[in-house]
Amino acid sequence: MSKRITEMCPALNDAMPTEYRELVENGPWLGDKTVKDLGTFKELLEEHPLCAGCNLALSLKIILSSLPNPADTIIVGSTGCSSLGFMQVGIHNIHSLFGNQNAVATGVKRVLSMRFPDKKKDVVVMAGDGATADIGLDMTIHSWFRGEKITTIMFDNELYANTGGQESGMTPAGRVAYMAPLGKKFPKINLFEIAKTSGCHYAVLLTTANTVRLGACVKKAILLARDVGPTYVQIHTPCPTNLKIPPEESIKVAKDSEKERYAFNEYVSEAAKSFLENTGNKK
Amino acid sequence: MYFKAKVDKEKCNGCKICILSCPEPNAIKFDPSSKKIEIYESRCKACKICVVICPKQAIELEEK
Repeated sequence: MSKRITEMCPALNDAMPTEYRELVENGPWLGDKTVKDLGTFKELLEEHPLCAGCNLALSLKIILSSLPNPADTIIVGSTGCSSLGFMQVGIHNIHSLFGNQNAVATGVKRVLSMRFPDKKKDVVVMAGDGATADIGLDMTIHSWFRGEKITTIMFDNELYANTGGQESGMTPAGRVAYMAPLGKKFPKINLFEIAKTSGCHYAVLLTTANTVRLGACVKKAILLARDVGPTYVQIHTPCPTNLKIPPEESIKVAKDSEKERYAFNEYVSEAAKSFLENTGNKK
Repeated sequence: MYFKAKVDKEKCNGCKICILSCPEPNAIKFDPSSKKIEIYESRCKACKICVVICPKQAIELEEK
Protein backbone atom coordinates (compact mmCIF):
# COMPACT_ATOMS: atom_id res chain seq x y z
CA MET A 1 0.00 0.00 0.00
CA SER A 2 1.35 3.39 -0.85
CA LYS A 3 0.21 6.92 -0.31
CA ARG A 4 1.35 7.94 -3.77
CA ILE A 5 -1.98 7.53 -5.53
CA THR A 6 -3.53 10.36 -3.57
CA GLU A 7 -0.61 12.75 -3.49
CA MET A 8 -0.91 16.00 -5.38
CA CYS A 9 1.43 17.72 -7.77
CA PRO A 10 3.17 20.38 -5.60
CA ALA A 11 2.35 23.15 -8.09
CA LEU A 12 -1.37 22.43 -7.76
CA ASN A 13 -1.31 22.31 -3.99
CA ASP A 14 -2.97 25.70 -3.54
CA ALA A 15 -5.55 25.17 -6.26
CA MET A 16 -6.98 21.97 -4.82
CA PRO A 17 -10.19 22.17 -2.78
CA THR A 18 -9.95 21.96 1.03
CA GLU A 19 -11.77 18.62 1.11
CA TYR A 20 -9.21 17.00 -1.16
CA ARG A 21 -6.29 18.45 0.77
CA GLU A 22 -7.78 17.10 4.01
CA LEU A 23 -8.13 13.69 2.37
CA VAL A 24 -4.47 13.64 1.36
CA GLU A 25 -3.13 14.95 4.64
CA ASN A 26 -5.47 13.27 7.11
CA GLY A 27 -6.97 10.32 5.23
CA PRO A 28 -6.99 6.76 6.55
CA TRP A 29 -4.28 5.61 4.10
CA LEU A 30 -1.50 4.85 6.52
CA GLY A 31 -2.00 3.12 9.83
CA ASP A 32 -4.66 0.59 10.61
CA LYS A 33 -7.77 2.68 11.19
CA THR A 34 -10.90 1.09 12.60
CA VAL A 35 -14.42 2.26 13.30
CA LYS A 36 -13.43 3.26 16.82
CA ASP A 37 -11.00 5.86 15.40
CA LEU A 38 -13.82 7.66 13.57
CA GLY A 39 -13.84 11.38 14.18
CA THR A 40 -10.06 11.64 14.29
CA PHE A 41 -9.38 11.22 10.57
CA LYS A 42 -10.91 12.42 7.32
CA GLU A 43 -13.49 9.90 6.20
CA LEU A 44 -13.53 8.55 2.67
CA LEU A 45 -17.04 9.83 2.09
CA GLU A 46 -17.79 13.49 1.40
CA GLU A 47 -21.11 15.31 1.74
CA HIS A 48 -23.58 12.95 0.09
CA PRO A 49 -27.07 13.61 -1.33
CA LEU A 50 -28.79 10.85 0.69
CA CYS A 51 -31.69 11.78 2.98
CA ALA A 52 -31.33 12.91 6.59
CA GLY A 53 -31.09 9.93 8.91
CA CYS A 54 -30.41 7.48 6.07
CA ASN A 55 -29.11 4.24 7.54
CA LEU A 56 -27.60 3.30 4.19
CA ALA A 57 -25.35 6.37 4.46
CA LEU A 58 -24.45 5.33 7.99
CA SER A 59 -23.45 1.81 6.97
CA LEU A 60 -21.60 3.14 3.91
CA LYS A 61 -19.60 5.45 6.17
CA ILE A 62 -18.85 2.62 8.62
CA ILE A 63 -17.82 0.22 5.83
CA LEU A 64 -15.52 2.78 4.22
CA SER A 65 -13.82 3.50 7.52
CA SER A 66 -13.27 -0.19 8.27
CA LEU A 67 -11.65 -1.17 4.95
CA PRO A 68 -8.39 -2.95 5.79
CA ASN A 69 -6.52 -1.53 2.81
CA PRO A 70 -8.34 1.51 1.36
CA ALA A 71 -5.68 2.52 -1.16
CA ASP A 72 -5.85 -0.90 -2.86
CA THR A 73 -9.59 -1.43 -2.67
CA ILE A 74 -12.01 -1.17 -5.57
CA ILE A 75 -15.71 -0.79 -4.92
CA VAL A 76 -18.25 -2.02 -7.43
CA GLY A 77 -21.63 -0.41 -7.01
CA SER A 78 -24.95 -0.75 -8.72
CA THR A 79 -28.02 1.33 -9.40
CA GLY A 80 -30.03 2.41 -6.39
CA CYS A 81 -29.75 4.76 -3.46
CA SER A 82 -26.25 3.43 -2.74
CA SER A 83 -25.01 4.62 -6.13
CA LEU A 84 -25.89 8.21 -5.17
CA GLY A 85 -23.25 8.00 -2.47
CA PHE A 86 -20.49 6.57 -4.63
CA MET A 87 -19.81 9.86 -6.37
CA GLN A 88 -18.60 11.19 -3.03
CA VAL A 89 -16.41 8.21 -2.15
CA GLY A 90 -12.67 8.92 -2.11
CA ILE A 91 -11.46 5.57 -3.48
CA HIS A 92 -11.68 3.75 -6.80
CA ASN A 93 -15.21 2.72 -7.61
CA ILE A 94 -17.12 1.43 -10.59
CA HIS A 95 -20.79 1.89 -11.32
CA SER A 96 -22.18 -1.15 -13.08
CA LEU A 97 -25.45 -1.85 -14.81
CA PHE A 98 -28.35 -2.75 -12.54
CA GLY A 99 -27.71 -6.27 -11.31
CA ASN A 100 -24.36 -6.79 -13.03
CA GLN A 101 -22.23 -5.84 -10.05
CA ASN A 102 -20.89 -9.30 -9.19
CA ALA A 103 -20.07 -10.10 -12.82
CA VAL A 104 -18.17 -6.81 -13.16
CA ALA A 105 -16.37 -7.46 -9.86
CA THR A 106 -15.35 -10.91 -11.09
CA GLY A 107 -13.68 -9.40 -14.15
CA VAL A 108 -11.99 -6.70 -12.08
CA LYS A 109 -10.67 -9.22 -9.56
CA ARG A 110 -9.35 -11.60 -12.23
CA VAL A 111 -7.55 -8.86 -14.16
CA LEU A 112 -6.08 -7.40 -10.97
CA SER A 113 -4.70 -10.78 -9.92
CA MET A 114 -3.10 -11.13 -13.38
CA ARG A 115 -1.73 -7.59 -13.49
CA PHE A 116 -0.55 -7.38 -9.84
CA PRO A 117 0.14 -10.97 -8.77
CA ASP A 118 2.26 -9.93 -5.80
CA LYS A 119 -0.08 -7.25 -4.43
CA LYS A 120 -3.16 -7.63 -2.31
CA LYS A 121 -6.12 -5.99 -4.01
CA ASP A 122 -9.59 -6.14 -2.54
CA VAL A 123 -12.74 -6.00 -4.63
CA VAL A 124 -15.86 -5.14 -2.64
CA VAL A 125 -19.36 -5.20 -4.10
CA MET A 126 -21.85 -2.87 -2.45
CA ALA A 127 -25.39 -2.88 -3.73
CA GLY A 128 -28.93 -2.62 -2.52
CA ASP A 129 -31.41 -5.43 -2.05
CA GLY A 130 -32.96 -4.93 -5.49
CA ALA A 131 -29.63 -5.30 -7.28
CA THR A 132 -28.44 -8.23 -5.17
CA ALA A 133 -31.54 -10.31 -4.53
CA ASP A 134 -33.93 -9.49 -7.37
CA ILE A 135 -32.39 -8.25 -10.59
CA GLY A 136 -28.84 -9.49 -10.09
CA LEU A 137 -29.61 -12.70 -8.25
CA ASP A 138 -28.12 -14.95 -10.93
CA MET A 139 -24.90 -12.91 -11.15
CA THR A 140 -24.61 -12.85 -7.36
CA ILE A 141 -25.19 -16.56 -6.84
CA HIS A 142 -23.02 -17.62 -9.76
CA SER A 143 -20.09 -15.59 -8.47
CA TRP A 144 -20.43 -17.59 -5.23
CA PHE A 145 -20.68 -20.89 -7.14
CA ARG A 146 -17.48 -20.06 -9.01
CA GLY A 147 -15.73 -19.21 -5.74
CA GLU A 148 -14.64 -15.72 -6.79
CA LYS A 149 -12.65 -14.00 -4.07
CA ILE A 150 -14.88 -10.96 -3.68
CA THR A 151 -16.91 -9.55 -0.81
CA THR A 152 -20.60 -8.94 -1.47
CA ILE A 153 -22.26 -6.41 0.81
CA MET A 154 -26.00 -5.92 0.62
CA PHE A 155 -27.74 -2.84 1.99
CA ASP A 156 -31.16 -4.26 2.72
CA ASN A 157 -33.72 -1.48 3.13
CA GLU A 158 -36.46 -3.97 2.30
CA LEU A 159 -37.95 -2.11 -0.67
CA TYR A 160 -37.06 -0.15 -3.83
CA ALA A 161 -36.61 3.13 -2.00
CA ASN A 162 -35.03 5.07 -4.86
CA THR A 163 -37.98 4.71 -7.21
CA GLY A 164 -40.77 5.43 -4.75
CA GLY A 165 -41.34 2.31 -2.68
CA GLN A 166 -42.13 -0.77 -4.75
CA GLU A 167 -41.94 -4.11 -2.97
CA SER A 168 -38.76 -6.12 -3.49
CA GLY A 169 -37.95 -9.75 -2.86
CA MET A 170 -36.47 -8.80 0.49
CA THR A 171 -39.63 -7.05 1.75
CA PRO A 172 -41.17 -9.02 4.62
CA ALA A 173 -44.61 -10.55 3.99
CA GLY A 174 -47.50 -8.21 4.70
CA ARG A 175 -45.51 -4.97 4.47
CA VAL A 176 -47.53 -2.16 2.87
CA ALA A 177 -45.45 0.21 0.76
CA TYR A 178 -46.29 3.26 -1.36
CA MET A 179 -46.55 1.19 -4.52
CA ALA A 180 -47.65 -2.06 -2.84
CA PRO A 181 -50.92 -0.94 -1.25
CA LEU A 182 -52.29 -4.44 -0.68
CA GLY A 183 -49.23 -5.62 1.19
CA LYS A 184 -46.67 -8.14 0.08
CA LYS A 185 -48.03 -11.62 -0.58
CA PHE A 186 -44.97 -13.87 -0.30
CA PRO A 187 -42.24 -14.06 2.37
CA LYS A 188 -38.80 -12.43 2.40
CA ILE A 189 -36.05 -14.19 0.41
CA ASN A 190 -33.63 -15.88 2.79
CA LEU A 191 -30.46 -14.91 0.96
CA PHE A 192 -28.36 -15.60 4.04
CA GLU A 193 -29.19 -19.33 3.89
CA ILE A 194 -28.69 -19.30 0.11
CA ALA A 195 -25.23 -17.79 0.64
CA LYS A 196 -24.34 -20.49 3.14
CA THR A 197 -25.23 -23.29 0.75
CA SER A 198 -23.86 -21.64 -2.43
CA GLY A 199 -20.22 -21.62 -1.41
CA CYS A 200 -19.74 -18.48 0.67
CA HIS A 201 -17.05 -18.99 3.27
CA TYR A 202 -18.30 -16.25 5.54
CA ALA A 203 -21.82 -14.88 5.78
CA VAL A 204 -23.19 -12.50 8.35
CA LEU A 205 -26.57 -10.96 9.07
CA LEU A 206 -26.61 -7.72 11.05
CA THR A 207 -28.14 -4.26 11.39
CA THR A 208 -26.91 -0.70 11.72
CA ALA A 209 -27.76 -0.70 15.44
CA ASN A 210 -24.31 -1.98 16.41
CA THR A 211 -21.85 -0.13 14.22
CA VAL A 212 -18.68 -1.35 15.96
CA ARG A 213 -19.70 -4.95 15.28
CA LEU A 214 -20.62 -3.99 11.71
CA GLY A 215 -17.13 -2.59 11.13
CA ALA A 216 -15.44 -5.65 12.64
CA CYS A 217 -17.56 -8.05 10.53
CA VAL A 218 -16.89 -6.13 7.31
CA LYS A 219 -13.15 -6.14 8.01
CA LYS A 220 -13.24 -9.89 8.66
CA ALA A 221 -15.27 -10.51 5.50
CA ILE A 222 -12.81 -8.58 3.34
CA LEU A 223 -9.77 -10.29 4.87
CA LEU A 224 -11.35 -13.73 4.36
CA ALA A 225 -12.32 -12.89 0.77
CA ARG A 226 -8.69 -12.04 0.06
CA ASP A 227 -7.43 -15.54 0.85
CA VAL A 228 -10.27 -18.04 1.26
CA GLY A 229 -13.24 -17.36 -0.99
CA PRO A 230 -16.48 -15.42 -1.45
CA THR A 231 -18.00 -13.70 1.56
CA TYR A 232 -21.38 -12.12 2.11
CA VAL A 233 -22.54 -9.36 4.47
CA GLN A 234 -26.22 -8.46 4.76
CA ILE A 235 -27.02 -5.22 6.59
CA HIS A 236 -30.48 -4.05 7.52
CA THR A 237 -30.65 -0.32 6.74
CA PRO A 238 -34.17 1.03 7.44
CA CYS A 239 -35.26 3.83 5.10
CA PRO A 240 -36.88 6.73 7.01
CA THR A 241 -38.26 8.37 3.87
CA ASN A 242 -40.20 5.44 2.46
CA LEU A 243 -41.16 3.65 5.65
CA LYS A 244 -42.48 6.95 7.08
CA ILE A 245 -40.52 6.71 10.29
CA PRO A 246 -38.96 9.79 11.88
CA PRO A 247 -35.22 9.86 11.05
CA GLU A 248 -34.21 9.73 14.71
CA GLU A 249 -36.09 6.45 15.19
CA SER A 250 -34.43 4.62 12.31
CA ILE A 251 -31.72 3.18 14.59
CA LYS A 252 -34.45 1.99 16.97
CA VAL A 253 -36.29 0.29 14.08
CA ALA A 254 -33.04 -1.49 13.17
CA LYS A 255 -32.59 -2.49 16.81
CA ASP A 256 -36.16 -3.85 17.01
CA SER A 257 -35.65 -5.93 13.86
CA GLU A 258 -32.78 -7.69 15.66
CA LYS A 259 -35.39 -9.34 17.87
CA GLU A 260 -37.12 -11.07 14.95
CA ARG A 261 -35.92 -11.45 11.37
CA TYR A 262 -32.51 -9.78 11.75
CA ALA A 263 -31.04 -11.57 14.77
CA PHE A 264 -27.24 -11.47 14.57
CA ASN A 265 -26.14 -14.56 12.70
CA GLU A 266 -22.63 -15.38 11.61
CA TYR A 267 -21.59 -18.35 9.50
CA VAL A 268 -17.92 -19.30 9.13
CA SER A 269 -17.02 -22.27 6.95
CA GLU A 270 -14.51 -24.92 8.01
CA ALA A 271 -11.88 -23.60 5.59
CA ALA A 272 -12.32 -20.07 6.91
CA LYS A 273 -12.18 -21.29 10.51
CA SER A 274 -8.88 -23.09 9.95
CA PHE A 275 -7.53 -20.02 8.10
CA LEU A 276 -8.46 -17.78 11.03
CA GLU A 277 -6.85 -20.21 13.49
CA ASN A 278 -3.67 -20.45 11.46
CA THR A 279 -3.28 -16.69 11.13
CA GLY A 280 -4.23 -16.08 14.75
CA ASN A 281 -6.75 -13.47 13.68
CA LYS A 282 -9.86 -14.64 15.46
CA LYS A 283 -11.70 -11.33 15.48
CA MET B 1 -36.71 26.92 9.34
CA TYR B 2 -33.34 25.21 9.53
CA PHE B 3 -32.21 23.14 12.46
CA LYS B 4 -28.66 22.20 13.38
CA ALA B 5 -27.28 20.06 16.17
CA LYS B 6 -25.41 21.78 18.96
CA VAL B 7 -23.28 20.18 21.66
CA ASP B 8 -23.13 21.20 25.31
CA LYS B 9 -19.45 20.75 26.11
CA GLU B 10 -20.10 20.63 29.85
CA LYS B 11 -22.22 17.49 29.52
CA CYS B 12 -20.21 15.70 26.80
CA ASN B 13 -18.00 12.91 28.15
CA GLY B 14 -16.42 11.91 24.84
CA CYS B 15 -17.96 8.43 24.50
CA LYS B 16 -18.12 8.91 20.67
CA ILE B 17 -21.44 7.04 20.32
CA CYS B 18 -22.79 10.00 18.29
CA ILE B 19 -19.89 9.75 15.83
CA LEU B 20 -20.56 6.03 15.41
CA SER B 21 -24.24 6.56 14.62
CA CYS B 22 -24.18 9.79 12.58
CA PRO B 23 -24.94 9.12 8.89
CA GLU B 24 -23.18 12.29 7.75
CA PRO B 25 -19.44 11.95 7.08
CA ASN B 26 -17.08 14.32 8.92
CA ALA B 27 -20.00 16.08 10.62
CA ILE B 28 -18.85 15.30 14.15
CA LYS B 29 -15.16 15.51 14.97
CA PHE B 30 -13.43 14.23 18.08
CA ASP B 31 -10.85 16.39 19.79
CA PRO B 32 -8.34 14.03 21.44
CA SER B 33 -6.83 16.75 23.67
CA SER B 34 -10.04 17.85 25.39
CA LYS B 35 -11.86 14.46 24.87
CA LYS B 36 -14.97 16.28 23.62
CA ILE B 37 -16.78 16.33 20.30
CA GLU B 38 -17.21 19.20 17.88
CA ILE B 39 -20.10 19.51 15.41
CA TYR B 40 -19.59 21.02 11.97
CA GLU B 41 -22.92 22.74 11.43
CA SER B 42 -22.57 23.11 7.68
CA ARG B 43 -22.51 19.31 7.32
CA CYS B 44 -25.42 18.57 9.67
CA LYS B 45 -28.78 17.56 8.14
CA ALA B 46 -30.62 17.62 11.50
CA CYS B 47 -31.75 13.99 11.48
CA LYS B 48 -31.71 14.00 15.31
CA ILE B 49 -30.11 10.56 15.63
CA CYS B 50 -27.33 11.96 17.84
CA VAL B 51 -29.88 13.83 20.00
CA VAL B 52 -31.79 10.60 20.66
CA ILE B 53 -28.76 8.38 21.11
CA CYS B 54 -26.61 10.58 23.41
CA PRO B 55 -26.56 8.97 26.89
CA LYS B 56 -25.79 12.32 28.57
CA GLN B 57 -28.36 14.41 26.62
CA ALA B 58 -25.51 16.70 25.62
CA ILE B 59 -26.72 17.38 22.06
CA GLU B 60 -29.81 19.31 21.13
CA LEU B 61 -31.24 20.86 17.99
CA GLU B 62 -31.05 24.57 17.56
CA GLU B 63 -33.04 26.73 15.17
CA LYS B 64 -31.00 28.70 12.67
